[in-house]
Amino acid sequence: MVSPKGVDYAKILKRYDIKAQNDTSPEAIAEKMLPKDPVLRKVAETVVWMKFKDVGPATTDALKTKDALAIINDGLVAGMEVVSKLYADHIYYLPEIMMAAKTMEIGIAIAEKQIAGGRVTKGLVVMHVAEGDPHDIGKNIAAVMLRSSGYSVIDMGKDVAVDDVVKEVAKSKPMMVTGTALMTTTMTAFPRAAEKLVGKGISIPFMSAGGAVNRDFSESFDLGIYSEKAPQTPPIADKIKAGYDWRKVRANWEDIVGGV
Amino acid sequence: MAATRFTKMAYSSPDEIVFGTSKSPVSYGFGIKVGAGRVIPELNYAPRPGSEKDPARLKKEYVDYISKDVLTRAVTLGFPDVQLETEWVSQMGNPKFSIGVVEGQHEICEKFHNEYGINCAVRQTLPDQREAEEGLRPCGKGHKYPEALVGCAEVACENGADVLACETMGGKEFADYAVTSGDVVAFLYGVGYLGAIDMEWIWSQFVDIAKKNKVTPGGDTNCSGANVSMFMAGGLLDQDVQKTFSAVTRAISAARTMVAMECGATGPDKDCGYEGPIIKCITGRPAAQEGKNCQCAHADLQGNLMAQICDLWSNESVEYHPEFGGSSVQCWLGSLGYEVALMNCAIATGNEKTLRDLYMITDRTRGPEGYMLAFDNAYKVGEAIAKEGKNIYLRAKAAGLTAAKVVKAGYESKELPLTTKQKDVLDVIIKELEALPAEEAKFTEYCHKKYADVVPNYNKKNYGL
Repeated sequence: MVSPKGVDYAKILKRYDIKAQNDTSPEAIAEKMLPKDPVLRKVAETVVWMKFKDVGPATTDALKTKDALAIINDGLVAGMEVVSKLYADHIYYLPEIMMAAKTMEIGIAIAEKQIAGGRVTKGLVVMHVAEGDPHDIGKNIAAVMLRSSGYSVIDMGKDVAVDDVVKEVAKSKPMMVTGTALMTTTMTAFPRAAEKLVGKGISIPFMSAGGAVNRDFSESFDLGIYSEKAPQTPPIADKIKAGYDWRKVRANWEDIVGGV
Repeated sequence: MAATRFTKMAYSSPDEIVFGTSKSPVSYGFGIKVGAGRVIPELNYAPRPGSEKDPARLKKEYVDYISKDVLTRAVTLGFPDVQLETEWVSQMGNPKFSIGVVEGQHEICEKFHNEYGINCAVRQTLPDQREAEEGLRPCGKGHKYPEALVGCAEVACENGADVLACETMGGKEFADYAVTSGDVVAFLYGVGYLGAIDMEWIWSQFVDIAKKNKVTPGGDTNCSGANVSMFMAGGLLDQDVQKTFSAVTRAISAARTMVAMECGATGPDKDCGYEGPIIKCITGRPAAQEGKNCQCAHADLQGNLMAQICDLWSNESVEYHPEFGGSSVQCWLGSLGYEVALMNCAIATGNEKTLRDLYMITDRTRGPEGYMLAFDNAYKVGEAIAKEGKNIYLRAKAAGLTAAKVVKAGYESKELPLTTKQKDVLDVIIKELEALPAEEAKFTEYCHKKYADVVPNYNKKNYGL
């Protein structure tokens, strides 16, 4: 056997991941961003440190002295903003995002019961995976990221027929519909669904994403916009919330997702 | 048929394993001999969007365009062998779409074999559309996807498949949860344990159908689990999933994928199963692999290394479209075929072990996944599996723990650099796996209690439990 011993790997490969790692501690970043109010800070910390068993008691305690909406926005969501910063700085990764988001959702579910009429979210998004396609992990991650960013989501699941998507959108009137597909022969459902939506006079953006999908395909049909990866979904939704239609999202796509 | 467990290694040492030769070669199709002394290129493709609109158009795409292009280019470049792989699109679950494609590919292979003497065959890889929420086994409700999957095997085998393969989905609901949550125990339970049970259920049926029709029952891959893990772990700047985690999940998946062979599958297994080196060490069956010549489908950090012990060398998949050098399938066949020619030249000149070692050393420290899959380390994982071979829980746990310790030893010896995060995650994995009970019953009880309300669509009945 040719021995690997003594091989100078620097001449063969470069471990950019070692070079790029961020050794800043999460505590140092959290300290700068966590709320100063001790009650809200305690709530926010449960999210930052993913203590899903503690978030319930912390939220319930906070409700004794704080307004439910303040607990959500200045405690739970504030904690999630710290998590987003840690993710952007490559200190936290996907598992931490998922666990923190779950923690936040437990707290929100408790707090929003105290809000008459329920919490007002930024907007509603309908999500699905194309008919014949069982690959839903990307859609599930994007759903968590949208919820964490203050949107409500109707998750239709995987292998969803075009007509069912159209029916749901017509019924629930979301600000955006998303579809994901891993295969080239299932993503063709998206232009068909978009065409039917247009036929019903619906002109919301139709975000398509997934392994088989690229920007060129996504922008090949009316309503179509693209998302390359799950973290790009909330900033695109924010622009739609701010009044961008599908044409404007397309025209400004690089700026919207830049750095994400 | 009950599974016959592997409890011994097919090879007596890692140095014995090399590309192009396996302990149990397989012959099929029009002159194809896999693992019998030379490597064979395997070309996989996806039809263009829109070609799935009707059966005639889909058949034309697969047979008249793709298959003909591949076979013509193989002859043009002087390749002695080529294997086609058709990964069925979902529409082919309907026999009206699939029968014409399978028959047509068989006929065109026969035509080229007769006309030019080229050795050729087609692997038909079935779409497993089963969904945990609708039932992985027949339950009289929903889509009837379990019945449809078995039906697809019959259609493929009765109409001209040379090799039957599948990318089964058992354990996917756990794999998705485990990968996104960084939970190695969930992966062990879902893929290593439940996935192995599902493999036995479905592959016993596949093997019976294949044998009845004199078709080669090839093998499987943990595409729906370990591939997701490795895909999300990505390249050097993609760290959503830590590569120490994906390396361990890959090792665990070997204990699942090899169940196909325990049920009678003969190989070659599936190219996208990067667990292949571990499985070949244990079973001695021919391995299909992919790496540097599958950049049309995805990037990974072990493009050379994966060629180290392959018997079929694949491009994973490429969408059919025009390129400057011909159609995409022709261009990627050229890329594959010349690499295979290099391997076969190394064999012919007695230099195969040198080339194998160079493939391996090139990527050995590019990341934890490749380090664990380097054939000397893969052999260690294989030994751990075989030692506990009779128990599907203990062997999957041993695979994960051994892989984790191999990676840690590489780090501690300063051979394999890790980021701080990769090292932290690795330490947690070792701690969690070491804390698991030694008894299968205690493990399953613990996992059922822990995950019953946490993992979406988890249903023990899907696994006959």
